[in-house]
Order: sequence, then structure tokens, then C-alpha cells
Amino acid sequence: MCAIAAPEIFGSDEIGNAIVLIEGDLPQDLEVKARRAEGNCPERAIVITE
Amino acid sequence: MGETVTDTNDLAEQLLTNYNIMDPNFVREPFSKYDVIRESECPIAHTEQMGGSWLPTRYEDVVAIAQEYEVFTSREILVVPPAPGRQEGPYSNVAAPPITSDPPEHHWHRRLVLPIFSPQSVAKYEPVTKALCNSLVDEIIDKGVADAAGDYAQHIPVRVIATMLGVPLDMEEEFTSWVRGVLEQGMTDPEIRAQSSLKIISYFVEQLADRRKNPRPGDFISDLAKAEVEGQPVPDSYILGVCNLMLVAGVDTTWSAIGSSMWHMAQHPEHRKQLRENPDLWPTAIEELLRVYAPVTMARIVDRDIEFQGCPMKAGDRVLMAFPAANRDPRQFTNPDQVVLDRAHNRHVAFGSGIHRCAGSNLARLELRVALQTWLERIPEFELVNPDDVTWAGGQVRGPRRCMVQFPAAK
Repeated sequence: MCAIAAPEIFGSDEIGNAIVLIEGDLPQDLEVKARRAEGNCPERAIVITE
Repeated sequence: MGETVTDTNDLAEQLLTNYNIMDPNFVREPFSKYDVIRESECPIAHTEQMGGSWLPTRYEDVVAIAQEYEVFTSREILVVPPAPGRQEGPYSNVAAPPITSDPPEHHWHRRLVLPIFSPQSVAKYEPVTKALCNSLVDEIIDKGVADAAGDYAQHIPVRVIATMLGVPLDMEEEFTSWVRGVLEQGMTDPEIRAQSSLKIISYFVEQLADRRKNPRPGDFISDLAKAEVEGQPVPDSYILGVCNLMLVAGVDTTWSAIGSSMWHMAQHPEHRKQLRENPDLWPTAIEELLRVYAPVTMARIVDRDIEFQGCPMKAGDRVLMAFPAANRDPRQFTNPDQVVLDRAHNRHVAFGSGIHRCAGSNLARLELRVALQTWLERIPEFELVNPDDVTWAGGQVRGPRRCMVQFPAAK
């Protein structure tokens, strides 16, 4: 789901497990998408820290 | 007034202590019943009907059960007990891995199928799905009336799955009848369920033998036939089980989600308009439709005597994870009965949760989106012929089975 909500930030490996594609701090222009991914992750696996 | 209160109390009492999810009333409109249970002092109902079961309805409880796989095992996952005699059949060791597997086997059972359903892998089925949806619309577009369930939704997932399995598309009718035998008629007729299961497995016994003789490159069954785990070939029972799962989990479920979404769109011109004017809404719209019309309810078998949220559960008890009920819990979702196509927070459990979370979710999403987009592109305006004439299947998998719609016929 995160890869659909924020494809710039999340992708998936060869077995479909989610992976983070970016390193370091979240670019500001992606924050809305990141929040959307967080709010839609059914496994609560995404946590955005300040 | 007094009489109404008594009736309401009777209804609540009946739902809390003697529900029957196969009851036609429950199947047609389960949501108000789930509300009654969820908002009562006892949000986990119990029944002796259909072999006896517990029915948790709150989001938090359903998710907790899905996560606690050691206590709530997947020895059986159907919402009613297995058919008598099934255990002694010729393929009695064939289940439906990984959905019927518990750890530690679950790990490799799941790992072998996940690559087939990764977002990248399923994306290659989009053109085929699109062509298939278009050909179905071709059949009906100049008639002005069609069954959105029987003429459209029903044909989509089964043909996509047949394509993935590398079997002829003309198996569609048989596959559909076998799957309905397991998941629909089979819910109340164990004999039909056992026979249908046997037909599915016997069919794949032949297919597997054929692929061992004539392996096909890039073919799903051929690939499994040569897969190894820790240097050992995987047992036939596993391969047959996965093929069984492809049909039983991949056909009725997605077709029901497509059907319910079509039923919704037929009644909501404002949502059709919203999607037409803002196609960026599709990803959240698909999740929202999955949330409100989650088709699937899965079961777990309690491993040992425990008390769960005050309920004395015994080893061997069946627990029904009512995902459709959890998805409308107001503690988790604001205005849960409202369809909000751009809902920002939507941790729905239509695909379950935890280690058994649906392996095919990316394929299901793709099929649902392509089915709706194709129909809406070609038949933008349509409505139900008669809302009272829609028929539903329910229990394990809920969705419309006849849903007549009318629209301006193409000239």
C-alpha cells in the first residue's frame, strides 16, 4: 500500500516486501505522501519521526 | 413502543448468543447486525449454530487475533467445520498453503508464492485484464441492460487466474462451479464441498503430471515443480495446495469485491463523476471500496484454552475474523458507513493482517481497478434496474451474485 501511496519513498523487493528507497531525511515535498502512506499502512509499520 | 424495545432486545440477544452468518437476512445486510454486536457490552458474539463459533467485531480484537498466530491457528480457516470424510480422501494431505499453514512451515510456504504476486510481477497482467474487461463490455454494451455480477465481475478474476496458471480459458465455467461448490453451496452442504475440492485437486494432479513431462518456461506450475527448499524438491501436496489456493482464494473473493463495487457505483453517480474528474483518486478509492465491501471472513482454531477479552475460549473453538465488521468500527474509522473516496487514514483489514495477510492483494487491487475503470470509461452512466432484485452470497465470501443494471445502449 505504501508503494502506491508514496512510490517516491517506498518500493518492494523481489518477494513483494516493502522497502524504503530514500536515504536520510524526508524531503519536505514528500511529506504529504509519506503521511498518507503512514495512515494507510495496515501493519502500522511506518512511523514518521520529527 | 414497549413492543419495539422487546423486538430490538430479542434481535440483539439472538445476534449475541445464536447468530447465523449464513442466514439470508444476515447475508443480504450484515452491517447493521455487526453494529449491534460491536456496540453491545459483548462485542465478541458466540453461537452454537453451524458447528459453533466466536465472532469478534471490533477492529482491535480482529487484528489482535490475526496477529496471535500461535494461539489462533490456521489448522482450519473456513467459517464452518470441514466436511465429513474429507480427511480420508485420496488427497487428504492437500490443503491450501500458505493460508492453511502454521509456522514454521508457513515461512517457506509463503516465501515461494510471494514473488508471483509482487507489485512488479502482477503489473504484467494489466493489459490482459484490460483486454478481458473490454471483451466483456463488448458483449453487453449495445443491450442497455446487463448483470454487473453475472455478466461482468464473475468472469474477470477466474480468467486472470487461468492465464496465470497457464490453463485454457475455457476452464472458466468449471473453475467457477468448483469454487462456488467449496465457498458457497459448500458452506451449508459438506458433501458438495468435499466433491468440489476433490475436482479441483484432481484437475491439478493432471496438470502437474503434464508440466513434469513438458515443462513450460515462465509457467507458474512448472516453476513450482522445479523449486527447491533446502536442497529438496517441494512435495506435490504443496504444489497442488497452492494451485487449489489460487482458485479458492483468487476467484470468488475478487469477483465479489468487483461486484460490490459495481453495485455501489450503480447507485452513486456522484462517485462516478468524482473519479472521472479526478483520476488521481483511484488508489484511495480502491482502498475505500475494499474497506466498506470487504468480502472475506476467515476463521481460526483456538490452540489452547484461553480467556480472550473476557470470553472463555476452549482449545478447538472456531473464531471468525469478521474483517467486514472490523472495517466499519467507528473506533478506527470516522463515519465508517460513509464511502469517502479520498479517505486519508484507512488501515483496513480487507486482506487480513499479520503473517497470513493476503498474498494476492496486489493482483486483487489491479483487477478491481481495471474492472471499474474499463466499465466506467465505456458505460459512464448506469443504475440498478431494481435495488430489491439484487441477490447476495455470503458467509465466507460476500458479494452480489445477480445485480441487473441498465444504461443507454450503444448505437
